[in-house]
Amino acid sequence: MTRHAHVAAACVLAWLACAATTASAQVATVPSIRWVEIEVGGGLIGGARLGTVDANLRANARTEQAYRLFTADHRFERAPAFHLRAARPFGRRWGVQGGVAVSHPALRADVSADVEGAPALTISETVDQYFFDAAIVIAFEEFRLGRLVPFATAGAGYLRQLHEGQTVIEHGQLFMAGVGVKYPFVSRAAGFVRTAGLRGDVRGYVLRSGIAVDDRMRPHLAISGGVFIGL
Amino acid sequence: MKPWLCALMAVLAFAQPIEAYLHLTAVRAGQTRTLKWQRVPVRWHALDRGASGISGSEFQATMARAFATWEAVPTASIAFQFAGATGAEPFDDDGLSVLGFQNEPDMERVLGATGFLVDTLTGEIVEADIFFNSAFPWSTSAAGDPNRFDLESVAVHEIGHFLGLGHSALGETEVRPEGGRRVLASSAVMFPISFGRGTTHDRALQPDDIAGVSALYPDGDFRSDTGVARGRVTRNGGGVLGAHVVAFNPARGELVGGFTLNNDGGFEIAGLHPGPHIIRVEPLDDADVDSFFSARNPVDLGFLVTFYNRLFVAPSGGQGDAFTIAVRPK
Repeated sequence: MTRHAHVAAACVLAWLACAATTASAQVATVPSIRWVEIEVGGGLIGGARLGTVDANLRANARTEQAYRLFTADHRFERAPAFHLRAARPFGRRWGVQGGVAVSHPALRADVSADVEGAPALTISETVDQYFFDAAIVIAFEEFRLGRLVPFATAGAGYLRQLHEGQTVIEHGQLFMAGVGVKYPFVSRAAGFVRTAGLRGDVRGYVLRSGIAVDDRMRPHLAISGGVFIGL
Repeated sequence: MKPWLCALMAVLAFAQPIEAYLHLTAVRAGQTRTLKWQRVPVRWHALDRGASGISGSEFQATMARAFATWEAVPTASIAFQFAGATGAEPFDDDGLSVLGFQNEPDMERVLGATGFLVDTLTGEIVEADIFFNSAFPWSTSAAGDPNRFDLESVAVHEIGHFLGLGHSALGETEVRPEGGRRVLASSAVMFPISFGRGTTHDRALQPDDIAGVSALYPDGDFRSDTGVARGRVTRNGGGVLGAHVVAFNPARGELVGGFTLNNDGGFEIAGLHPGPHIIRVEPLDDADVDSFFSARNPVDLGFLVTFYNRLFVAPSGGQGDAFTIAVRPK
């Protein structure tokens, strides 16, 4: 991760923390606090380019130059993702959340420009991909539309990717920010289930390390929806 | 010479069904033995006279650097010891491994060669000699000399043979109008054709060379830290002999090559770093086939360059799932 990306992630978290403090001070009513909210759901995690790399031989020159045998452009394809999240609200305004999202994207390589004229083709493998993340969640009660409550979230986590055959594991880090809405259709002060509803969000992920062909960070966009219950 | 000892020239490489690259082997009574040193450190001598404007001490220092290059491979366990200057000639079958210049003007395309005395029962190399052809102009200049061949580069190549490695096919060439071939590019010190005068590229080992020597002399972690690609190359359902199979690791930019070494088209490439690889198959058309295989092997050159249609994931230790690459005739 670049220094800029670290700074940007820290700024997002700091801004959300400040927003939570400010918003809490403006609310007169003290909400009931759920101990934990459990959410399950699914969605799509978007594809991302991983970069282009040339298979190079050393050229016959006194200066080091490359002689390209072929080139390969790598990308992750969009894939369905399933998630399980647990949140711990610290009020109606903010809370923390951790979870795991599982997906099986195809890693594709477009192979072309072969020096001996081999036809271009796309080759692939399927990767088992796990996002483990922890995040701050801020609810924007002042923008509530009926029962629909918008929220923002930002956090970081651990990226785990298993290649086909599941013998090679790649590790990395992820940084995430997103916005979404919650729609509680059960909300009560007592009982085993205090609240239940639907939730949807859009997240932007930035992945560092893991499967890559260069050192750049890779952005992914994800949309997801699910049901939650507060216990 | 004892009856079970046999002298071989380095360029004679025979199909060997277990490892990839090309490891030199000897066949006796139907049994194939991989040639390798079994006693280390391997002692070597330098011929006490120089040639081509290179003194004996310059020659010795250059050879020492070339041996050190192979010795420095972290995943291989080979070691060498300089045993002194000698007046004994290379190829004397005297139990001494000698490196030195010899004038062979009739060998107009041979910069150097390596010969062995081996125990064909065990595959143990008991003596290996290297000669450098003083009919050519040589240089030991650090930056290379555009009018001379770099002695250290050629020494690193010949010491690869000295260790038991055959030739790699990781290179592209063009035919010269006057005959022979010119190297356009290569990614293996063990490619059979020199880059030419002035080029010092082959002082540094490439991933293919490192994988080859590590597979032959593995250190403790090599086999558990790297994976093996294995499979078949077929054409019209039958095996292809002598196909050059290259594994490219996009994350590391590394190319490691091997060959199909039997009539079933079977190949194995060891020493691959774990992770996805792009597998490319090509005919052996960038150097003379007898640089790699015995002339009695019917090597198939009549097919098109083909990529395996999946990414191959090299495991961390052991072999990946076997796969088949079907090539089409030209």
